[in-house]
Amino acid sequence: MIFKLEDVTVYFPYDNIYPEQYSYMLELKRALDAKGHCLLEMPTGTGKTIALLSLITSYVLSKPENPVKLIYCTRTVHEMEKTLAELKLLHNYQTRHLGPAAKILAIGLSSRKNLCVNSRVLAAENRDSVDAACRKRTASWVRALAAENPNIETCEFFENYEKAASAAVLPPGVYTLQDLRAFGKQQGWCPYFLARHMVQFANVVVYSYQYLLDPKVAGIISKEMQKESVVVFDEAHNIDNVCIEALSVSVRRQTLEGATRNLSRINQEIERFKATDAGRLRAEYNRLVEGLALRGNLPIADAWLSNPALPSDILKEAVPGNIRRAEHFLHVLRRLVQYLRGRLETENVEKEGPVSFVASITAHAGIDQKTLRFCYERLHSLMLTLEITDTDEFLHIQTICDFATLVGTYTRGFSIIIEPFDERMPHIPDPVLQLSCHDASLAVKPVFDRFQSVVITSGTLSPIDLYPRLLNFHPVVSRSFKMSLTRDCICPMVLTRGSDQLPVSTKFDMRSDPGVARNYGKLLVEMVSIVPDGIVCFFVSYSYMDEIIATWNDSGILKEIMQHKLVFIETQDVVETTLALDNYRKACDCGRGAVFFSVARILLARLEYLRDTFQIKEGDFLTFDALRQAAQCVGRVIRSKADYGMMIFADKRYSRHDKRSKLPGWILSHLRDAHLNLSTDMALHIAREFLRKMAQPYDKAGSIGRKTLLSQADLEKMTNDGSINEMLY
Amino acid sequence: MTNSERKRLNGEAEEEEEDEDDNLNGGLEAWERSYADDRSWEALQEDESGFLRPIDNSAFYHAQYRRRLRDRSLVATTARIQKGLIRYLYIVIDLSRAAAEMDFRPSRMAVVAKQVEAFVREFFDQNPLSQIGLVTVKDGVANCLTDLGGSPESHIKALMGKLGCSGDSSLQNALDLVQGLLSQIPSYGHREVLILYSALSTCDPGDIMETIQKCKESKIRCSVIGLSAEMFICKHLCQDTGGSYSVALDESHFKELIMEHAPPPPAIAEFAIANLIKMGFPQRAGEGSISICSCHKEVKVGVGYTCPRCKARVCELPTDCRICGLQLVSSPHLARSYHHLFPIAPFDEVTPLCLNDPRNRSRSTCFGCQQSLLSSGKWLCGKLCTS
Repeated sequence: MIFKLEDVTVYFPYDNIYPEQYSYMLELKRALDAKGHCLLEMPTGTGKTIALLSLITSYVLSKPENPVKLIYCTRTVHEMEKTLAELKLLHNYQTRHLGPAAKILAIGLSSRKNLCVNSRVLAAENRDSVDAACRKRTASWVRALAAENPNIETCEFFENYEKAASAAVLPPGVYTLQDLRAFGKQQGWCPYFLARHMVQFANVVVYSYQYLLDPKVAGIISKEMQKESVVVFDEAHNIDNVCIEALSVSVRRQTLEGATRNLSRINQEIERFKATDAGRLRAEYNRLVEGLALRGNLPIADAWLSNPALPSDILKEAVPGNIRRAEHFLHVLRRLVQYLRGRLETENVEKEGPVSFVASITAHAGIDQKTLRFCYERLHSLMLTLEITDTDEFLHIQTICDFATLVGTYTRGFSIIIEPFDERMPHIPDPVLQLSCHDASLAVKPVFDRFQSVVITSGTLSPIDLYPRLLNFHPVVSRSFKMSLTRDCICPMVLTRGSDQLPVSTKFDMRSDPGVARNYGKLLVEMVSIVPDGIVCFFVSYSYMDEIIATWNDSGILKEIMQHKLVFIETQDVVETTLALDNYRKACDCGRGAVFFSVARILLARLEYLRDTFQIKEGDFLTFDALRQAAQCVGRVIRSKADYGMMIFADKRYSRHDKRSKLPGWILSHLRDAHLNLSTDMALHIAREFLRKMAQPYDKAGSIGRKTLLSQADLEKMTNDGSINEMLY
Repeated sequence: MTNSERKRLNGEAEEEEEDEDDNLNGGLEAWERSYADDRSWEALQEDESGFLRPIDNSAFYHAQYRRRLRDRSLVATTARIQKGLIRYLYIVIDLSRAAAEMDFRPSRMAVVAKQVEAFVREFFDQNPLSQIGLVTVKDGVANCLTDLGGSPESHIKALMGKLGCSGDSSLQNALDLVQGLLSQIPSYGHREVLILYSALSTCDPGDIMETIQKCKESKIRCSVIGLSAEMFICKHLCQDTGGSYSVALDESHFKELIMEHAPPPPAIAEFAIANLIKMGFPQRAGEGSISICSCHKEVKVGVGYTCPRCKARVCELPTDCRICGLQLVSSPHLARSYHHLFPIAPFDEVTPLCLNDPRNRSRSTCFGCQQSLLSSGKWLCGKLCTS
């Protein structure tokens, strides 16, 4: 359908539109007009993505005088593919109605692992080794050698791409990762480098958060994006955590051991070069003296990850004298590793600020702050000089240098935490040294500063006023939309009492009460017997989950649950959890039924900092974070309007209005007063009725009176008589 | 005033109140409670002639209206629908632990048995040429309760004798068993399974997806009626094999759902090939004749039919001859099956406006009951389509 939205003609590829999509577009359009940032919350399953894409592309089409580039950030490759598929549909629709004038170039960009077409490179198992395998074939010195010696292997796709030089361009169109690979195969060009090259010309770029937020990657990928861009962060409820992770480093014992191995390997290389080609090392030294960290513009295939610190914080100075020589630098690194190893030996949990940490390094290892700061660039330069291509082997020493650079650069917003063991298993020493960033606004600041509009959107952003404070920006629009439904397909309820009418809560002082654990167990046992297929059960922490599962196991509750459904448990190991999730899904699909025990994590270390810097009260943030976790957990319950789901908030604290009101509006609007203060048996009754009702055939168009799909005619009528406004507000 | 509200008001006195509440709820008998909950009497009123009529029947009429629309569109799109008149239907009854639940009163199992009885009778009434078999699932194992047969009484007797539930339920075992049994029947017969599923999970020995695939290949139409909630696997099964999936809200709804399966469904397109079927029309034996019947292996006097091919005696029609395997029917059976192929043409809507038209005067009364269409005030009332 085609309709007018103020002064923009919107091309929407479907015949009908949801009212909330319409208002979403309206708000977005106003934000674009104002050239400001915006924050929009709309439930999952209401077609956020297509509304966003069609509005922004139509906006560009309607106002050709200011071409805006769309940078769309997704969390996973899967989401990226889905977005591009939607965009393709939209693009087909637009070109059908507008002809070739509507043609755009849209590409998805991902790592080499997802884009490479060279079968020998792809044989490597993980991302880092694919990167390294690619470098082995495409590094400039390897190619120079290969020119003389045909036995050295290169990548024919890259060679062809280089040969085609400026002729290597993508014709307009929408390219998913798969399309890119197919195109690359057909033309014989490397899709990865082609895509990297085309990023600057494309009208729409879809890639991962990291490409904008992680300074290491953003420095090489997103450097040349124009200011007139709209940046969209989809599913952005965790954006602050992504920002924090981008600037956090953790060092374990294995890292240090690996780093030691790396150092001796580098040492060997240096010795070898000294014997064969001493001139190179000297040339590097001279270059460093002249203050050039890098050899001018590197060929695209040589470019490495860039500095972990944010661009504005990087010193434009010459590398300090004491690490200009390769051997000296190696000594510095050895001392640093040695020092860190010493710190890991600790018995207690230690917490320290970067300033005192650096001071202690200076005192014990004799490395000053400035030297630390340059570690990363010096290592980078050294690796290039030594012509090392198997970068995946050198991840450990890179981690150490990242750590050194960050610790040397930032004095605020970070802290160093050393934990001698995992808190769940105090007997097994597993020391971790974390440099954790507390300030999400640090990493995201360059994005807000650089681009004209940044759109942050997700199904769950409540409470919506906290995000601007956390990320330190001023949105021109921030709104939360409700979902128009043909039936009440979500059923939230607040359960405050167990079957014995005693209150249940995971509040700290009540946690260890055996009665509470038993009540929760009873609730779950009853629920598994009346809910079909899958149940996900969220706990507040791993330790609490372990404790309660042990109790249930002793009292036989677990066995009762197993009679109805299989039980899967999330662990901290990613592989194990993936496996568990996979089997959980399988069990749900084949009708066996399953329960998944998961953990909604809450981070505590940031509290103090947030209070000092942003005047966010600790309590506020805790409630926010806890409820955000809860909202995200339950927010996944439906993915489209045809789905349905129940959410049970089993804690008496939810019956308090101040806590509950932090939940997203679309959940709250379905929370009836009668469902607020339930005990187990009442909840069961409601659940049974709800599930029966939802199993009845679903009337998609909506019965009389509850119109949720608007056709073009409806929309025109409503705009003319002004009733659209009253529907929206 | 709901319990929760009361509690909030009383605050501290919560504990004492508790027992009283329980008594209050417990005071009602289980059967009373459901009526007390929806206050069904308030939705009724007496009309001038003393009949009770529902006040708000818009929902009812809406549903009726939609059904008529659906019927009509079905007729419009496929001018000639093939229907399977000779159906071989297995009814799978889930007698696992979940069937003992009391949310249907007195228990799911009893309700299912009662409705299956009604269904079996209705089924043979509408499809005299078809046969039914019963399968029960208990303790994760599927058992064939009765083989395919055309006698309602024997099925019902077998079912009533075997009620009792325990253990898990297994969809795969049931499907495997039924698939094995149904794959032997001749190709002109329409293979169907109707599963009455109480449980919410299935405990299977292998990959159920393969079994579903096998059912699909042997063209078995699987339908499921759930008694508690929607299950993904059942939905998948029904979608794949062309059956229907529904979940019962309460007993009357369950009855409605199960009765929907009585008239023959449209045949699966690729399966609907024309076939000639050999049938025998046996003669009814004379009053005083004595012979040994082939079905009970007993000497019987009087009532019975003689197979025209092998002259064996059978007690009931329709059936297959035990000796020569010929299908034995009587001509009224055949005729009764026939009306599914030529259903009554759908009714046209008559609006009050159109009734005021003088040309239509003659038709302002109902053809069947002679009541005036105007006075009934229900414009949905129809007239016979004369085309």
